[in-house]
Formats: sequence, structure tokens, C-alpha cells
Amino acid sequence: MKLFWKTGEPYVLATGAALAIILVMSLALVGVVMTNGLGYFWPRSLVKYVLTDGTAALGQVTQEENNPLTGKKRLQLKVANRDLLGQDFRWIDEKDITSRSLPTDALLLERREHGNFFGFLTGVTAEGVSLTAATPFGQLQQALRVVSERMKATTTIKQQMSDLNNRAERYRLKLLKLEFKGAEKNSTAIAGLTSEREKVLADFARLNDQATTTLAEITRITAQFTDVSGTAKEISLAEIVALQQPNSMSPLAKCAAYLERVRELLLDDPRESNTEGGLFPAIFGTVMMVLLMSLFSLPFGVVAAIYLREYARDGLVTRMVRIAVNNLAGVPSIVYGVFGLGFFVYGIGGSLDSLFFAERLPTPTFGTGGILWSSLTLALLTVPVIIVATEESLASIPKGIREGSLALGATKFQTLMKILLPMATPGIMTGLILSMARAAGEVAPLMIVGVVKLAPTLPFDTNFPFFHMDRKFMHLGFHIYDVGFQSPNVEAAKPMVYVTTMLLLAIVIIASSTAIYLRNRMRSRYTTSTF
Amino acid sequence: MPKNYTDKSRRNDRIAEAIIRVGGILVIVSVVWILVMISKVSLPLFFPASATVAAATTAAAAGAARPVAVGADEEQRGAFVFDEKGTCRFLNAKTGAVAAVIPVPGIPAGASIIFAENVGKSSYNLLWNNGVVTPTTVTFTSAQDAGGTVSFTHELSVNEKLLFPPSPGAVQSFVRSLGEKGAVRVDRLEQNKLRITTQTIEKDFLGNEKRGSNHSDITDPLPGQLTAVTVDSKGHFLYAGTSNGMLLRWDISEPGQVRLLDSVETSTGHMAITALSLILGDISVAVGDASGGLSTWFPVKMPGSSEDKQLTRIHELHSAGAPVSLMLPSSRDKTIFSLAASAINADHMTSERNLLSLKSGVPVTLASLSPKGNTLCTLDSNNKVSLWRLDIPHPEISFGTLFGKVWYEGYDKPEYAWQSSSASDDYEPKLSLTPLLFGTLKATFCAMIFAIPLALLGALYTSQFMAPKLKGRIKPVVEIMAAIPSVVIGFLAGLWLAPLVDSSVLTIFLSFVIVPLMLLVTIFFWKRIKHASLLQRITRGREFFAMIPVVMIGIYLAFLLSGIAELQLFAGDFKQWLFSTLGVRYDQRNSIIIAIALGFAVIPIIFTIAEDAISNVPRNLTAASLALGASRWQTAWRVVLPSALPGVFSAIMIGFGRAIGETMIVLMATGNTPIMSWSLFNGLRSLSANIAVEIPEAPFNSSLYRVLFLSAVLLFIFTFVINTVAEALRQRFRKKYGRY
Repeated sequence: MKLFWKTGEPYVLATGAALAIILVMSLALVGVVMTNGLGYFWPRSLVKYVLTDGTAALGQVTQEENNPLTGKKRLQLKVANRDLLGQDFRWIDEKDITSRSLPTDALLLERREHGNFFGFLTGVTAEGVSLTAATPFGQLQQALRVVSERMKATTTIKQQMSDLNNRAERYRLKLLKLEFKGAEKNSTAIAGLTSEREKVLADFARLNDQATTTLAEITRITAQFTDVSGTAKEISLAEIVALQQPNSMSPLAKCAAYLERVRELLLDDPRESNTEGGLFPAIFGTVMMVLLMSLFSLPFGVVAAIYLREYARDGLVTRMVRIAVNNLAGVPSIVYGVFGLGFFVYGIGGSLDSLFFAERLPTPTFGTGGILWSSLTLALLTVPVIIVATEESLASIPKGIREGSLALGATKFQTLMKILLPMATPGIMTGLILSMARAAGEVAPLMIVGVVKLAPTLPFDTNFPFFHMDRKFMHLGFHIYDVGFQSPNVEAAKPMVYVTTMLLLAIVIIASSTAIYLRNRMRSRYTTSTF
Repeated sequence: MPKNYTDKSRRNDRIAEAIIRVGGILVIVSVVWILVMISKVSLPLFFPASATVAAATTAAAAGAARPVAVGADEEQRGAFVFDEKGTCRFLNAKTGAVAAVIPVPGIPAGASIIFAENVGKSSYNLLWNNGVVTPTTVTFTSAQDAGGTVSFTHELSVNEKLLFPPSPGAVQSFVRSLGEKGAVRVDRLEQNKLRITTQTIEKDFLGNEKRGSNHSDITDPLPGQLTAVTVDSKGHFLYAGTSNGMLLRWDISEPGQVRLLDSVETSTGHMAITALSLILGDISVAVGDASGGLSTWFPVKMPGSSEDKQLTRIHELHSAGAPVSLMLPSSRDKTIFSLAASAINADHMTSERNLLSLKSGVPVTLASLSPKGNTLCTLDSNNKVSLWRLDIPHPEISFGTLFGKVWYEGYDKPEYAWQSSSASDDYEPKLSLTPLLFGTLKATFCAMIFAIPLALLGALYTSQFMAPKLKGRIKPVVEIMAAIPSVVIGFLAGLWLAPLVDSSVLTIFLSFVIVPLMLLVTIFFWKRIKHASLLQRITRGREFFAMIPVVMIGIYLAFLLSGIAELQLFAGDFKQWLFSTLGVRYDQRNSIIIAIALGFAVIPIIFTIAEDAISNVPRNLTAASLALGASRWQTAWRVVLPSALPGVFSAIMIGFGRAIGETMIVLMATGNTPIMSWSLFNGLRSLSANIAVEIPEAPFNSSLYRVLFLSAVLLFIFTFVINTVAEALRQRFRKKYGRY
């Protein structure tokens, strides 16, 4: 026993316990995100509870716990129907429940507004559409198909309208510029442009009318529902995004519904102030910002590293610079954000505005946060990562290789381009991927220099000049912060936040594992074991 | 090889070298430049104020009627002078040309002005010697065309709503609007008397107006001869100063009723009060005395007394050395200009900074500030009008207001406070960085206490005891942990962990006891494993696998026990007990949450660097120690760890630097309340989170904007210094063992 303590085996166990705690915490983090995120899309059964006071509740059980006041078990039920009940969730004490059933005809509707609807179908009203199906549910599906086809027609109109709108906006800006340069000098051009613009606007108004009438026609196709307590509710089919009968779905159908929801998440726009629908603009914004950032940070970082390692004389200055660069990686990201705001947005952006877009002032063009400034700020933030990684990989190339190349008569530049850089590529890639992972997850500086909760347009589209560097954009990380902490109905938004978190976590973990894998492979290539 | 090929490649080499050198240096310079740029934004906070005479001219020929009030436009181009006959002369300040002479509308015949009060925003209450007061507003603007010709627009108007019946014998009169409810006039009469006249307008629900008028004289025995009187802009309080240094305050807000609230001595030497003025916001009153002393006072709740507030000396401002004859409060901020003989001083109340001290050779008789506060107009005894262009960048900022305790208006005592904005314009901004620094350090220390033991012990285990094959798997896992975005950790801390801990606070505390206990129990069983047995060979280097269930069971046991403990010891509700017994409020997002979340974020950083450092200790040291018969723990603890100490220390410092600047976790997992409380159960606000919260709302180049940049500079310097020391340590350590 004494020996056991003396040799210190218990302490080894204690250190092992520390590592165990770290791993348990990591597992808990990933586990919590996965269970909450993955389960969200699975069509859960709609359970009907009849309570002792005679009322009934229909909903999805979201959690069970002991009532903190009474200590009795209670259920949290998502009852949806926000427009009828006012709240999405309600607590039911287990002792109040008299019966529990799974009505097979219970419907789950995803709506464009007011969240989901849980209830039962009573009938479909569709003027001018022949509904051949026998059951009301069949009729509803048939009518929905018709509605979605008609909606498609309106989306093409909407597309044309947005094009016209863009053209009108371009004319307006041109007009502003001409007027700014001198209204009298350019009066003919102004008159021409004005008439062009009016033509476009007239087209726009005509299409708008057309769209309105079509939409009005579509909204006339409705279906009648009742909720579990018998309250009737008429819902226009145009309002319905998706519908399910989760209690009568086969596991296969549930899988299909699940995949459909995943597709929606990745490719659709958000609804209901970001708490429903998809994440496409946020994913797109994140990816575009990260790519733009690499465009800036990769060349500069690599050049700086090559200079430090291959060209600079190894003196005190170089050592200090190396320390400084290393440390910049540790400077808080918010400081970079503040710098980006002061220097890029107000400094460079402000000057650009007064030089080139003076006619639009005081509405800022580049003098406000945008994707360009965001990616530049993050490029600054991640340059040290790339410098350090590149330098390390250059340093790990054995000296003999360099000397061999020079001895064969190659110039320094040739050695660099033909020998060193190809060998260092995995290291540079590691740095790049690590910096991309960091940029994808970084939120604090972006909040200051250009991320918004809901961007009306993507920073890249089919309108000239295609890349709109001045536009604000959406970002997955900010989406988490915004929906989780700033939305009015946090409880209802939580599942969406978990899904977003899962997505972001997956991106970052995959990226950094790749980087670490690359790095380890490269390390083992050059290092020789000493012991 | 053709000669031109080698030439070409040599040329390419030279060009490339130049480009790479320039590029590399540029990157490095630009990186250092960041600090310069952000400091440049925050530096103007500390710039001194300046004032220059923009224009000066003679007001009127000698022998003309005595001037009683002066004023100027915003651009320092024109001035106006009221003389005692009631005419207002508008002057071009550059040339001295008279632009217009306008008499005050409705001058009482043959009367002359005996007192003029500037009530801010170019409004003057003119008291005539027959007891009539004319509330006059001057509109005076200037414009300059491309050719440099200056043109003026000017207008005089009388506010009919504030007209009162004459009050003969008045020496000074103060007229204030009560808004919809009417107006009040306070007269200082001869023979040391004060009279208050209130005109009330009452509207019934049909919109019919009922007008009434109330007189009341102040009958309280006055402690001395009245020397200065003033009324606040809402007409609620009347202040008076006496020749023996007493400051009096009456409540005159109820028509017909006057209540003496305060009678306090302002100086020990019974120095006569020579000037009184209310500072913007009407809470503080500035008192100037015959010795030149200048102080501000506002009512403070006295300890012990239940309700009554007593005027208290709050700020002692710069002493002018000569009797203060006139005080001008700025209508933009809490700055006060005071006239003492030939000197004009500008002081800011909150920061107690003496902003400007302007000397003119000749005594100054009259002065006024333009509504925007950037022009000071003075008239000296030689009848010369001077227009000063004022440039006072950030008067409310001083070292004291940023880091020290300040007695803010409405507070009971001096405090450190951060409250940057409010709904009203006359608000005193509270920009103390101390609570934020406190919050930053509190969060960091809480996190480090949680993270350091776990990360270092984990690193020691991974590098010294773990089976090498396993190490290749576990280390990347921790490295990937380092890449988890802080927004993810912050979200889980705020929306998952905080409610969880909230529902069972004791679990956390009990875990600190139960998990080590469980560890002891495990050790007890572990020692039964026979030396060199098969089981030992399997478990060696994999002990931590066994520890995972131990830890999990420990935490679960703590959770179970916490329920029992709460029922038995704390009457079923720990938080209630905490509040009623210890008086500690429990915030859901508190320092415990921060410790865990921020700790979780820095663990991988400390772990990775420390593990590198420990692993870099040459293997021959370990081998020698083991060969001498030391156990693996003895080797690790006595040989490896001491050698790796500099590296381990640098790991801790780098983790520390990371925790200081972390933004999203602190933003999401605390309530962001800028309070200075040592309690673990309270939230906090850190410097970095403060920047994230406030900077989107901060107007460009405002004091708040610059203060936020200053806090960014502080963060930069903090982390830079910490990281540099850590890096220097690490490089020395590497040098010692000769490995890069």
C-alpha cells in the first residue's frame, strides 16, 4: 500500500481523471448538439391528451421533468397553433391526464406565418379546380399540387419584377450621379434616363398588378381545419409550406420527410424571422466570406512567411518580428473588428464613398459594413495563422535539400518555386484550412463590420456587377447568436439554433480534422525519430 | 545552358527577391500598424481643449447706451449686443459693420433694462426698471457665399406666453415656462426679498382654459444678504446664495406654496457666494464665491435620514483666484464657463477638468455661449466684443472618469459605473472602464481556475503516461476541440448549461467533492491489480478510459445528492436560501457558467502547448530517470515537469491571453451587467463583450466610440504583452533543448 502511494500510481490516475473530464466535456458538447440538432427534423408523433377537466391537447412531447414546485412529473408539449393559443408550448402535469391517444388523422401543417398548425382536416374549398380524390386528405394534397404549380408561375413573375427593380435602381443611381455632376449640363441625358426609368417602373407596376391578382386567386383556394378543442380554422393553401400526418407515416415515409427537411435547410431561405425554414443565405454568406478572405490572406501570408524564413537575415529584428506575428494570432478577435470598423469601414470606405459615390451620400455605399470589409478584417485576423504554418513547414524541410538545389546552380527563386514551395504545400494547406475554420466560426468582429440578421439579397447574383462587395451578408455563427439570443421567442427558436450549431460544428470539425491529418502526414515525412 | 537563360533566371531571382522583401515587410508593417491605427482613434480623448479669438470688434462708440447682453452666431461671423435702451445691434464681427439695429418689440416707453438673463438657446429675459420682463428670443444665423461675402439673417421675437404683469421694485427677475401648465416668475426685490408669481393654465376635458395667478413671498428669515439667485429651467427649484456663504434651496413647484429645503454653508470662511448657475440637466448647481472657488452641489440622500435629501458638495472645480462674477452653463454638456475678473475658465463638472483658462488683459463684463456651445462671445470694459472659437473635443473624459470613482448625479456616493447612454440629452454619461476591467479579470480568473488544473494534468498524462498509439488519436481530438467556434460554446453555455445549473446549483459544488471521492475509491480498487499482471499490462497507458465512467458516475451522484442536500439543508430551495440568508442574488447566467464555458474554450489551448512542451523534454532525461529505478510518476513529476516548466508557464499565459479577449462566450453566457461584485452567482461584463454590445450604437467619433477604441487598445496591449512574455519563454525553452 505504502509503495503504491510512493510510486505515485494514484497521481497517475488523477491525471487520467483530468483528461477524462476534458473528454467527457467534449463528448457532452458534441452529444448535446447532435441529439438536439438531429432529432429536430424527425416527424414526431402528435399525441392527444384528454385532461381531467375535460379539455384536450394535441402536440409533440418535447421534454419531461419534475415540476419544480410540486415535484410531480410533468410534460412539455409543443402545441403550436400560435395564432389560436398565443403560445407554442404548454406544460401538462401527468396527474391531470386521463387518456392518451395517437389520432391517425392528426395533421401537422408548416405555415409561412404563425408557426405550425396541429389539427384535423374538415374540408377543402377550391373554386375552379376539379378535385377527384375521394378523401378530404387526398383532395387537400391534390389542391396543394395545383397551388404549388400556380405559385411557380408567380415566382417567374417575381423574378422578372426583381430584375426590373434592379434596372430601375441602376437608373436611379445613374440619375443621381448625373444630377450631382450638374443637372443643367446633363439635362438631355437625365431626361432620357428618366423616361427609361419610368418605362421600367410602369412595367414593374403592371407585373405587380398581375402578380397580385394571381396571388389573390391562389389564396382563394383554402382548406378548413379544426384544432383539438374543435375551434374551426380556415387556412389558405398558399400559406402551407408542407403537411404531414406523422401518426400514420411509415418509417420510410418519415425518412423521406426527414431528408426533405434537410434539403430545405440547406437550400431554402429562412422564414419567420429566421426561426424556421432554411439556412441557405447564411451558408452562402459564410462560404463566400471565407473564400474571399483566403484570397487576401493566402498570398500575403505565404509571401510574409517566405520572406521571414528564406530572405530575412536571422537577427534580433527577425526574431522580434516572428514573436510579434506569433502574438498577433493571440490578439482578441474583437480588436480586429474594432480596427476593421475604424480603418476599413469608416477610413477607406468613407473615402471611397466621398470619391466615387458622393452622389449617394449620406446613404453610405462602402462606408458601412459589408462582405468586403468583413473578409479583409478576417484576413488580417488569420494571416498570422498562415504565416506560422508556412514558416513551420519551410523550416521542417531539411537543409540538405535547399543546399542541393543551390549547388546544382538553381537560383534562390528557382529553388523556392520548384523545390521548397511544392514541399511546403501540405503545411500551407494546413494553415489555410485552419484559418478558414477559424474564420467560419468567428463572429465577434463580423458583428461590427458587416453581418446582418437578415440580408435581403445575396452578395453574389445575376445582376451586374455580379459580386456586390458592398452588400451585407448573413453568417452561420451570427445566426446562432442572433436567433438564440435576440429573437423574441427563444424557446420556439431553439431547435433551429441547434441545427445551425450542428452544421457549423460539422463544417469546422471536418475542416480542422483535414488540416490536422495533413499536418501529421507531413510531419512524419520529414522528421526522423531520434530515440 | 544558353547564357540568356541563366541571365533571365538571375534577373527573375532578383525581381522575385525584391518583391518578396517588399511584400514581406509590408505585411509585417501593416500588422504592427493595427495598433497605431486604433490608438489614433482613441487618442483625441486626451487632447487638450483650445480657444482662439476668431474675430473681435468694438461694440459701440464710448458714451452710447450701456450694453446689457451679448451673443453670437455659430460660425463666429457675427455678434449682437443689447443695450440698456432696449435696442439690439447686429454686428459683422470681422469688419465691425452694423448689419442691423432692431429695437425689442413692445419696449415700455422711457424704460431701460436693468437686468438681462440668458436662459440658453439665445433667449434673454430682459427686466426693465418699471418691473416688466420681456422674454426675447434672438434668431441670428450667418451664411457665406462662394465669393466670401457674409450675409446675416436676424430676428427678434417676444414669447407672449411668458409675459407677466409688472412687478415694481424688482432687481433681478427669472421667468420660466412650465410648459402647458403656465409659467413662473421669480423676482428678487429690494431689501433682500424674493417673490414668486405663478400663472397657471388648467385645461378641463372640453379644452376650456382656466387661468389663475398666485403670488407668494418668501418669508423665511434669510441667513444673510442675498448675493446670487437662480431658478432651474423647469421652474421647480429656487436657489439663492448669501453674503455669508449660505446656499439656500426652495421648492416652488406648487403654486402659492414655498418650502425651504436646504440651507447649507458652502465654505468654512463664510465666503460670499457671488454667482449661481444650474448645470445642464438641472440637477447640479454650480456655486462661485468671492475667493474664486467654484464647486457643484446636488441633493444627496443622507445616511440615517429617511427621505430628505440635502445639498452636498460634489465636485470642487478649478479656483480662479478672483471673485466669480458670472457663470455660463453649456447647453450641450456638463461644462461650465466662469468669469472672474479678466479670466474666463471652462471646467467640466464630471471630469473636474479645467478645460480652458482664457486671459484677456481687460476685465470682461459680459459673456455668452452660442446654442451649440462652440462660440464664446465676450464683451470687455473697453467695449470690445471678442468671439472665441472653442474646440473642446471630449470634456467629460479624464483619467479619473475612465478609471477612478466618480460621484455622478443622482448617486449617493462616488462609484465606478458604466452606463453609456440614456433617453435624454442632458444625461451624464458614465464611462468608467473599471467595472469592465473587473469583469474581464473576474471571468478570466474564474475560467483559469477551472481550466489550468484540468489542462495541465491532462497534458501530463497524455505526454508521459499514455500509450503512444493512443496519444496519436487523443491529441488530435483535443486540437479539434480548440477549433470549436466560441459562438457554439457560448450558445450552449447560455441556453443549455445555464438553465441546467440553474435547476440544480448544488450539483456543481458537490461534484468538486464527489468526483475526487470517487477517484479515491477507484484508487483503492486499482491498487489490487497485481504488478506485471495481464490486467496491468492492458490498463497501463489506458487508465483514463476507466476514469471516464468514474467521472460520469461521480457527477450523476452529485446530482442525486444535491437534491437531497437541498431538501435537508436549504429548505428545498438553495437560491432562496442564498438570498434570504446571505443576501446574494442568483443570476442565471453567472460566473460559474463563465468559468466552465470559458474554461472549456481555453483548455485545448493550454493543453496543446503544455503537451508540446512536456513532450519536447529530451527522452534521454526520462530514460536516465527510469533506468535509475524511478517510477513513471516520479520521473514525470520530478524530472520532466521541472524541465518543461517554462513551456508549461507559457502555455498558461497564452491561455490567459485568450481568455481575456474572448468575446462571444462572455457575451452569451453572462447577463452583461457592468457590476463589480465578487459573488460567483452574479454576472459580469467584460471589455470585449462591452465593445461588441456598444459599438454598433456608438456615433462615429463620439466620446463613447473613442472610449471603446481605447478599450480595444487596452485589450491589444494586455494580450500582446502576455503573449510576448510567453513566446519569449517558449523560445528560450526550445533553445535549451535545441529543437525547433
